Amino acid sequence: MLLVVTYSRRARETLRNACRAHEETVVRRFGRAALLRETEYGAFLAYRLRERHAADVQVERTEPFNEFADAPDAVREAAAAYEARESPSTPYDRFATGTDHPNSDAMREREL
Amino acid sequence: MTGGGFDRRFAIRLPDGTTESGPIADLRDADASVVPAASQLQRAIRCGGPNPPDGPAVHAPPPGRVHAHVARLASDTTVRTRPALAAVAADRGVETPHDDDLADAIRSFRALSPAPVCDADLRTARRRAAEAGAETERLRERVATVRGRVTALRDGGSADDEALTAAEASLSEATRRLSEVATERVAAAQRLALLEERARSARDRRETRLRLEDRIGNLERAVRAARIDAVADDFRDARHALAALSRDADSDVDFSGIASGLLDALTVVRIAPIRAPVVAAPEVTAAFGGPRPAFEALDSPLVIR
Repeated sequence: MLLVVTYSRRARETLRNACRAHEETVVRRFGRAALLRETEYGAFLAYRLRERHAADVQVERTEPFNEFADAPDAVREAAAAYEARESPSTPYDRFATGTDHPNSDAMREREL
Repeated sequence: MTGGGFDRRFAIRLPDGTTESGPIADLRDADASVVPAASQLQRAIRCGGPNPPDGPAVHAPPPGRVHAHVARLASDTTVRTRPALAAVAADRGVETPHDDDLADAIRSFRALSPAPVCDADLRTARRRAAEAGAETERLRERVATVRGRVTALRDGGSADDEALTAAEASLSEATRRLSEVATERVAAAQRLALLEERARSARDRRETRLRLEDRIGNLERAVRAARIDAVADDFRDARHALAALSRDADSDVDFSGIASGLLDALTVVRIAPIRAPVVAAPEVTAAFGGPRPAFEALDSPLVIR
């Protein structure tokens, strides 16, 4: 999908109007951002916004996140184990100590 | 309600050189060929000089905010009361609990210039990255094709050495080009990533600006609402008082021909601290029983036209 984020009142206004007028192309709206369908028309709308508001518009292309393909197994396993922990108040790093799960600082350092 | 601490005197110079002075300037009997239209008078009062040679010149204190709402009083006058009351309160100097916050927000906003995002550079970088990517793909296919031909010639045990040599030369050329273009592609991708990273941090500042803009908008609405609240009772009382004048059998005031919109406008004039003259149509002053009673009831300098 195309994620369009606006950074000025005018750009936000244009985005809102575009979303109202082209509901079929809008997947989701969030205040000053919107997810557009990945069609040529979605690209057309995103590009028009960028043409009109230049740096006040950010366009990103998003993909569904596949935890089996997009992140190391250790990360997926750590998340699953942490969510299944017995004591809900345990912070992650204490939970990870003494296990094979990566610590949070190490994960912050490593890009996917 | 005369007085109020303002000097209500003003002067109008008509295009023929004659001068009328107020607090009440009555142009009903002025020479029809030189007397300016009400709209010309309004403009001269609102804008001051320089005046066009064929227009009136008005020497009066500068108009307050409320002037924009009640510059002219005539039988068809209407007024949007809420904005007009907010202007009355502003002209009265009414303070609200949000004034300081609003001033702070405006100051912060002005101090925070939008961080430059070099959009043209980013666009160029995006284009280069896209072109380098496409070119790499094209050359990769070409290398595969030429390599296929070389392999076929070798495997075929072809006696055509010349063809094999040419194919091998062509393969080495294509491979060389591919390696060049692949390097360019990496450089272009790195450049794009760098610029996008910079744009992302510049957007943090824009985001702060946008939040401030929203805060300013909310505070402005709050200030407006507080101002209106501050004078709403005065407005209601003054409107009753004006209507009561008309019901008084001993007075010359007769509002029977006055529409509700005009009565609202008259009330706004009555409660506002008005320094610059308001242009009143003769039928309006007539409803008060003449210019002088109108001036006293409205507590405002008047040009009757």
